[in-house]
Amino acid sequence: MLRKLFYLINFSLLAFFLLAIRQDARRGWKKYQSRYYRMEIARLEQELAQSSDPGKRERIQEEIRRWRSMGLQIRQIILRDFDRVDRCITCHVGMDPFANPSLTNSFTENPYQAHPGKLSSSHPFPRYGCTLCHQGQGLATEVAAAHGAVRHWERPLLKPPYLAASCARCHVNFEELPGAKAAALGKDLFDKLGCVGCHAVNGEGGAVSVDLGDVADKPLGRVDFSYTGLAREEWSVKNWIELHLTRDPMEIVPNDPQGKFGEPIPPSGMPPFYRELQPSQAQALTAYLLSLSHESVPHEYYVYASPKPKPRFANPVEHGRYVFHKYGCQGCHGIGGARGVRNFNALGPDQTRMDQGAEPTLTKVVGTYTREELKEKIRNGVPSSAVVKFNPEGPIPPLYMPPWKDKIQGRELEDLVTYLLSIAEKGQWW
Amino acid sequence: MNFPNLKAALINSQIWRSIFRSGIWKDTPRDRAGHVIGNLWLHLHPVRIRPRALQWTYTWGLGGISFLLFLILTVTGVFLMFYYRPTMELAYRDMKDLEFAITLGKLLRNSHRWAAQAMLVAVILHMIRVYLTGAYKKPREFNWCIGVLLLTLTLFLSFTGYLLPWDQLDIWAVTVGTNLAAATPFLGYEGPFSSLLGVHVANDVRFVLLGGTVVGENTLLRFYVLHCVFVPLVAGALIMLHFWRIRKDSFSAAPLALPGPRSSAEGAAAPLSSASDEEKVEVWPHLVLREYVAAGFTVLFILLWSILQNAPLEELANPTVTPNPSKAPWYFVGLQELLRYFDPWIAGVMIPNLIIVGLMAIPYVNPNPKGVGYYAWRESPFAIATFLFGILLWFVLIFIGYFCRGPNFAWYWPWESWLVHKAPPPPTWDLPLWAGALLLLFYFGFGILGPRFLQREISFKPAVIFYWIFAAAAGAAIYLFGFTAGQVAALFFFLFVYYLFGFLMPQRYLRDLSWPRYLTAMVFLLMMVGVVLKIGAMVGFNLHYILALPQYNFNI
Repeated sequence: MLRKLFYLINFSLLAFFLLAIRQDARRGWKKYQSRYYRMEIARLEQELAQSSDPGKRERIQEEIRRWRSMGLQIRQIILRDFDRVDRCITCHVGMDPFANPSLTNSFTENPYQAHPGKLSSSHPFPRYGCTLCHQGQGLATEVAAAHGAVRHWERPLLKPPYLAASCARCHVNFEELPGAKAAALGKDLFDKLGCVGCHAVNGEGGAVSVDLGDVADKPLGRVDFSYTGLAREEWSVKNWIELHLTRDPMEIVPNDPQGKFGEPIPPSGMPPFYRELQPSQAQALTAYLLSLSHESVPHEYYVYASPKPKPRFANPVEHGRYVFHKYGCQGCHGIGGARGVRNFNALGPDQTRMDQGAEPTLTKVVGTYTREELKEKIRNGVPSSAVVKFNPEGPIPPLYMPPWKDKIQGRELEDLVTYLLSIAEKGQWW
Repeated sequence: MNFPNLKAALINSQIWRSIFRSGIWKDTPRDRAGHVIGNLWLHLHPVRIRPRALQWTYTWGLGGISFLLFLILTVTGVFLMFYYRPTMELAYRDMKDLEFAITLGKLLRNSHRWAAQAMLVAVILHMIRVYLTGAYKKPREFNWCIGVLLLTLTLFLSFTGYLLPWDQLDIWAVTVGTNLAAATPFLGYEGPFSSLLGVHVANDVRFVLLGGTVVGENTLLRFYVLHCVFVPLVAGALIMLHFWRIRKDSFSAAPLALPGPRSSAEGAAAPLSSASDEEKVEVWPHLVLREYVAAGFTVLFILLWSILQNAPLEELANPTVTPNPSKAPWYFVGLQELLRYFDPWIAGVMIPNLIIVGLMAIPYVNPNPKGVGYYAWRESPFAIATFLFGILLWFVLIFIGYFCRGPNFAWYWPWESWLVHKAPPPPTWDLPLWAGALLLLFYFGFGILGPRFLQREISFKPAVIFYWIFAAAAGAAIYLFGFTAGQVAALFFFLFVYYLFGFLMPQRYLRDLSWPRYLTAMVFLLMMVGVVLKIGAMVGFNLHYILALPQYNFNI
């Protein structure tokens, strides 16, 4: 009995150790690499058969010998400037500048095809690598892990149109860049919708909500996905941002307005944009936001833009409208001050529920102010403690008017007030 | 020249004989003895051994398996050291390299990880086995103590190794673990009375452990050196001592023969002399073969486990992002669970230290010479029941902490999704100082003296009377104080635990011990039962502190 066990154990130990070695020796990337070699050699042999020029034949034969003698190996680009190692070219051999110096080939499928477009000349791969633009996990050599489609890797592969975010990280002038249209469109929407009224970007803008200057770096550990309905593998910063634009933020961040778990906490104060934004617009806005990162990039990688000329206005009303948009006032008061957005549990007109509370619609209310009163209001704002609640037991409304006295001054303030008074509805108040 | 001649010539050559002393194998008792004596690795064995010691069900090979796992960990650990650099920038990347680029790197890391987990389990099971078979009793008390120290070192080895991959799982587990050190009385900056000694965050024991005030670069280096050099050296020295003592005590724990049926009580207590007429068997091949088979199964188990499952690796460590929940490594998660019921200086410092000291005290407290060498349930019901109760408590707490705690350490059933939001725990209350002090005095005073001075055998009748009194009191409590049925059930359960382990059993089995032994046993016993009672008070009645002196951080 023991003797049989002795042999059984010895043989199974040997067998499983060999199995482990076999598993290790047959890693997935080897399949792709050898397939690439075979395809390349077949192509060259075809070329050889068609060629009659002895000099050219010699060159092709030399090339075939080179591919034949090339062993299967982990290929990697070491980016000293970024302290990264990208092993993507282990499978994507066509993009390895040493194996395939021309960086072109006739294959059309991944992982065999060469990098499409002419990007490799302006962004030499030995200097830029892959993950700098595409993200994903450069160190990995397995398909799912390398593309970042695994748990515990928070930067999955960026696909178009979100890929434009990477262009905008270094190209300060991305709005003129032909390849980064999505990011440019996103930036345009960001300004137009007045996001900056509540969300500062690196300190520039309102302080009502979080600063978005490093939103792309947001660790998933700080995000509560429990109300999004997303499957675990879809949890990502990209989806978190995009959901805020394609669904009502109040559904994604409902918090605890009923005070079930303690003090009542209002839901997200962000107004819903899903009605006015097309899916492609939401994607573009997401792409722009994904470019906002604090990951350090050496200064020589930046492409600077000359500052835009300041627009000049002869008409104070025109200037006032410009100021209104510049500070993102429309984020809460609507474009042209025409529609105050939802402010949970703030006292609004014709209200029956907490979620019908709203910010003031300026066209309706500015007419009740004198010029001086309006200036005071803008200078000092309305702190959230002074926002009148609909339900006194309910949460403090999430939105409030920040004091603008440090930002909007002088001509800007004068013309803003002039503009505001010009949009007041000529109703019963006059 | 035929093969036997060639073999003989080879074996008789000067080179061969200079390396292996023995000549051609003739399978005589002399040869077999020579195999054991003349071999560095085997000479720790005796030449002959009692057949009892060969039974699987006696040792389960657990001590040997623990040592084998230590050897596997040493070998895989040395190989890992070729690839691993203990810096914040490189440690995590080296983990990725092991997984994705290094030949057999994944297998190497997996087997190190899983062998470490297996060693923890094997060491704990070894301790339980030694206890159940009474092998800690005289003259092996000191070796039992060394074993307890080795168990502690095994935990510490695993804990220091836990940090090295430098991912989120690790630094937060180590943060949880080392924050407990900050609660050490006098020596930790959050511990009771530390302000009296001028201890602050940058000079306390936690600072010594971390090399800073947070888990950082210095911590990584410290843990690396502790894990790879310091603790293995200490553990190795103690392992040598452990083995040497077994040898010097002549493997005496295995009895000469199984005791007869229950009636022959003297069979169990028979003096263990070498002057037995029992036929011993040769270690080679009988014991060595069994050891080989056990070792082979262990290696096979680790190998299969490492092929099938990868060692965990989460995101790169980020000291600014705390995962919710952050859990200690599984073997300390029971202590973390105790943090719900006790302040850290008790849950994280006093309790683990008292467990260690209490375990080491057992052989000196228990004078019963019976029940050595077999599973002696009947010879020592009290010793075995309380020990198993303690082990059960430890693992139940681990189970709860590991499987039943979710975000904010709130209660989640193992099958429940962590995405569900839970209400915060209900508000708690403290006993007034005088009541707490009186309660503690009564608990320990009566708890210690009561069983000793009640010299009668307790019959069944008082228990029945007690039951009716309790039922009446429970009814009154529901009626007068608005207790819920759950609270009454909790009260009943926890009082019963006290009655059984804190009163009835010591009254029956301990009351005739000498005073020093009795006092030691009762203090440890009452503290163990006290932990359970405090859990009951918190769970059933939201009672947070029995005795609170917040100005000294001294809260019980």
